[in-house]
Amino acid sequence: MGSPISTTLLPSSLSPIVSFRILFRAGSVDDPRGREGMTYLTTAMLAQGGTRSLTYAELLEALYPMAARIDAQADKEVVVLLGECHRDHLQRFVPLLRDILLRPRFDPADFARLRDEAVNYLEKQLRANDDEALGKAVLQSALYEAHPYGKPNVGTVQGLKALKLDEVIAHFKAHFTRESVDLGIAGGYPEQLAVDLAKELAAGLPSRSTERVTVSEPRLPRGIEIVAVEKPCIATALSIGFATSLTRAHEDWIPLLVANSCLGEHRTFNGVLMNELRGKRGLNYGDYSYLEHFIQEGGSTFPVTNIPRRRQYFSIWLRPVPHRNAPFALRGALYFLDRTLRQGIPEADFEATRSFLKTYSRLWAQSLDQRLGYLQDSKIYGIADYLETIQRRLPELTCEEVNAAMRRHLRATDLVVAAVTQDADAFLDPLLAGAPTSVTYDTEGTLPEVLQEDRAIERFPLQVSREKSRKVTPEELFET
Amino acid sequence: MGIFPFPFQQRVLANGLQVVAVPFDSPGLAAHWIIVRVGSRNEIEPGLSGFAHFFEHMMFRGTPRYPEDRYHAALKRLGADSNAFTSDDLTAYHTLAAAESLPEIMDLESDRFMNLRYEREAFQKEARAVLGEYNKNFSFPEVMIEEKLFETAFRVHPYQHTTMGFLRDIEDMPNQYDYSLSFYDRYYRPEHCILLVVGDIESDEVFALAEKHYGPWKRGITQIRIPQEPPQVEQRQVALSWQNPTLPILTLGYHVPAFSTRAREMPALDLISRITFSDTSPLYRRLVLEEQIAESLVGGAGDHRDPTLFVIQTHAKARALLGRVREAIESSLRELRESRVDEARLQATKSHLRYAFAMRLDSADSVASILAHILQLTADPGGYEELYATYDSLSAEDLQAVARQVFRDENRTVVTLTAAEVPQEGEAT
Repeated sequence: MGSPISTTLLPSSLSPIVSFRILFRAGSVDDPRGREGMTYLTTAMLAQGGTRSLTYAELLEALYPMAARIDAQADKEVVVLLGECHRDHLQRFVPLLRDILLRPRFDPADFARLRDEAVNYLEKQLRANDDEALGKAVLQSALYEAHPYGKPNVGTVQGLKALKLDEVIAHFKAHFTRESVDLGIAGGYPEQLAVDLAKELAAGLPSRSTERVTVSEPRLPRGIEIVAVEKPCIATALSIGFATSLTRAHEDWIPLLVANSCLGEHRTFNGVLMNELRGKRGLNYGDYSYLEHFIQEGGSTFPVTNIPRRRQYFSIWLRPVPHRNAPFALRGALYFLDRTLRQGIPEADFEATRSFLKTYSRLWAQSLDQRLGYLQDSKIYGIADYLETIQRRLPELTCEEVNAAMRRHLRATDLVVAAVTQDADAFLDPLLAGAPTSVTYDTEGTLPEVLQEDRAIERFPLQVSREKSRKVTPEELFET
Repeated sequence: MGIFPFPFQQRVLANGLQVVAVPFDSPGLAAHWIIVRVGSRNEIEPGLSGFAHFFEHMMFRGTPRYPEDRYHAALKRLGADSNAFTSDDLTAYHTLAAAESLPEIMDLESDRFMNLRYEREAFQKEARAVLGEYNKNFSFPEVMIEEKLFETAFRVHPYQHTTMGFLRDIEDMPNQYDYSLSFYDRYYRPEHCILLVVGDIESDEVFALAEKHYGPWKRGITQIRIPQEPPQVEQRQVALSWQNPTLPILTLGYHVPAFSTRAREMPALDLISRITFSDTSPLYRRLVLEEQIAESLVGGAGDHRDPTLFVIQTHAKARALLGRVREAIESSLRELRESRVDEARLQATKSHLRYAFAMRLDSADSVASILAHILQLTADPGGYEELYATYDSLSAEDLQAVARQVFRDENRTVVTLTAAEVPQEGEAT
């Protein structure tokens, strides 16, 4: 007999650790207008709000001697409740995890604390003191103007302040349902545990078939639209990108994975951007590109799982550049993107990158917990196991196929630039005027061929949109 | 079974290089780590803070046999995840790849440890990538607090600067090419290093490969003396102003001894860190969950080879609440000094530490990372057994004695950071 709810199971008798990923197809796309942050806060109330029989403090106390963990992650389309314990403690841990979902506490004091924390995050952290995260958030807001993806997952200041606890409870009942759940378990657990937990969730979660929010094609930027956030900072953080309808389910995805790796594999020296901007010019600490929304897992170089989206965006992340060189760095990134598109990826680079990805992609899921996350994401995208698909498709690819896919889907124009900088006019004015933006090196010995290429970069034509480019202050962002 | 459940073997090569091999169930994968027991602690010359970290960057700039582009191309072909990090006491170079690539990885890695060669131009470009790294970190007020706390609490020992180094020294790095050569000559020697391999490997194969590739590496001759920090005799204080909006942050630093698996002080402080400052402590419950006058609370000392600081940090909800938050923290410290911690909580904490350790051992790379930590501190892969035995042996009386020794007013440095703006609406002035 099949499970009464969707499950993704990865048992391994060898592992002493058991991981749970209880995933719901609900996300910030489900936040009502004027109540942005609803899904985030609902999720936080589950993970940090206790159960009907245990306050949050008592729950923490219960988890403490086991060093067990309950956490959550809320993205645009998916929410996941994460649990982890040693198999010695399954009997004690599972009822706690279950009760969080089936008997949540929804205490007003926790609600006040978590809402306050979320507002402080927006006002005192994201807007104020994490320039790289701010750049990425501004980029996404600009890409998805008037779109269900347009607000930060955590919500907006006014949306959060308007939220009421009974609305959160109603939201929980409407979206955290047996129809939307996928119970993921990996590691050293007995088979019966999965059967029992699936039955309990099926019996206890509300049942309600809700239509998924339509996630339409986002608007197409016209030319290069620059949003320059002006705030005190010692260097300029830059994020560049455009929305795409490509996901892992697209037939061009694997060829593009190779193309993107050549251009800017995250935190490696493989990419053109990293080698040109950091390696040869010393402009900053790192320069990378992405085919889809990417969050690094802790201190590793690998991505977190369970953030699947029906729409994705291509982006380039330039880590902070001294203010005086920031317009040049932006031009540099687009110049090298354009050059890669025009010249194509050489056969030798293609072969090397294909070889790289064959092993490297195996490193993305070293633990059973990570493997479980990938399997759940594949299910959401409606594809066969993504990591196996990469292994299967890579040997079949040709360089021509990769270059053709890259030219079909990537471009160096009609995109958005988010800059977090000290003097927005100094950044914007030369770009709006189409004036050259030179680079100043305070180091000796830049190679002659690099200096010569710099002359071309300084003048690389950008079709900057005067209409859509603007200067903003942090206080204007994420307010409503 | 001991706390570290995987058998390991070790050898010391004739040149002094310690080699540790840990077979681990990670089909087809192996983690190769080189731990250089040199970090910002070794930066004893004025004007050269941050050099250990900078040098870590230079190690990716190639050798005559594998110039930079060939080095990166080789790693790319192998599909390796290769990176490095530096802290106060160590610099670690870690590569995760297919186990069958181990001979090639040893060839590449040993070559750069013995034959690194870079030109002044590449050196200067990399110096600016380091400045970029500083710039990316510096948008966080906590980074400025860390800088000021250690600069104020230490006057002689190199822990007075962070691993990144003083900004003025980072800005001057392009001018220190010659020093960089002597830094390599001084520290990148087998007697300062430990080679660790974890994964789908045979120990004997690891030792044979290590002998082949690292055997010819020559010992160094330099000995350095790291100055000792004299005891602090009166409280030190700094008030910082931050130019962007922020929650007010209060940080207290207390001098504590060096890491040891045997002496009771640091293991006792690890227990105190969980008992008094974790999210299950009465203090956290009061400040964060019940009164909600602070948003965060942490307290603890990182493991260090020399005496360091036990740092308590909290983000208060408003400037006017800083006094109340501080009084609550000091009251908890007073309680630690004046009475014994609850026995049940002590036992729960010991259990917590054991299981937290066990649950981190989930991949070859995380096992390597955990083992690298104890190796850089003690050079003993069995160090965790002794440490956890010490945890188990500690009594409530031991914790009280250590609290009395450490949490004294004259041993404290206080850093407060508040936004440079006028007090917000509703706050007392």
